[in-house]
Amino acid sequence: MPASTQEKVAQLARVQLFGGVSRPALERIAELVGEIDFSAGDYIVRQGQLGNGLYIILSGTARVVRSGEDLARLGPGDSFGELAVIDRSPRMANVIADEPVTCFGLASWDLLPLLEKEPIIAVNMLRELSSRVRSLAGMHHRH
Amino acid sequence: MDRDELVDTLAGMALFADLGRVRLQEVAHTFIEDSFSAGQRVLRQGFSGTGFYVILDGQVAVRIDGTDRATLGKGDFFGEMSLLLGEAPVADVVALAPLRVLQLGGPDLESFLKRHPEVMFRMLQSLARRLRTANTRQS
Repeated sequence: MPASTQEKVAQLARVQLFGGVSRPALERIAELVGEIDFSAGDYIVRQGQLGNGLYIILSGTARVVRSGEDLARLGPGDSFGELAVIDRSPRMANVIADEPVTCFGLASWDLLPLLEKEPIIAVNMLRELSSRVRSLAGMHHRH
Repeated sequence: MDRDELVDTLAGMALFADLGRVRLQEVAHTFIEDSFSAGQRVLRQGFSGTGFYVILDGQVAVRIDGTDRATLGKGDFFGEMSLLLGEAPVADVVALAPLRVLQLGGPDLESFLKRHPEVMFRMLQSLARRLRTANTRQS
């Protein structure tokens, strides 16, 4: 059974990307996201393909694999796929479901206006990308 | 540099390309102009208490543990990642020639970006590019 708006809002409130977003805004976002189920082994995004949305994991875990190499593991509350939306470039890596995974999908044509209307989401995204740039360079100090 | 000249310079930068004249004047008003001589450090690796900088003129080296990793020039910016993460810079940023910058104090960056979502989106695009480059280098 599809989740109600209130259930979706509760799930979105736990996602780092939406930290600090007001309840009315979360309710609007809840109307934009769609729930998508994946089976173990499914490719949620495929390296090299053009992306038209970002994903937020609600349950299950997935791994990030680029050119055969495992880069990271993602779980509930993690979001991914925003890079391809921001710079309209092909997906940088595969994200493969390790087990049954349920995601929210947010389409790029909904996300881009949202970043302008709710700039806190863009700030959260800047933090996330900064953190990834630093950890890639192997010089990130978490606090 | 007088205000009109500064606004013209800003208008030519990718970071501010989506802003109209009035908003550019606000940017010029919000930032402080500063200059450094060749060899001077603008950011220090491992030290907190810094700002966000946009290069108006000149070049800087991004130096980690004494090794130059990148050169930045007019229209490029730095310091935002440390401010956003609340962490010390992971590199020295050193003026390679006489340098003129616009500077915004640490606490003001987030509110500035929220007031100018178009600038923030440009910054996101730039970070996305950096992330892709870093990824490519790693593999």
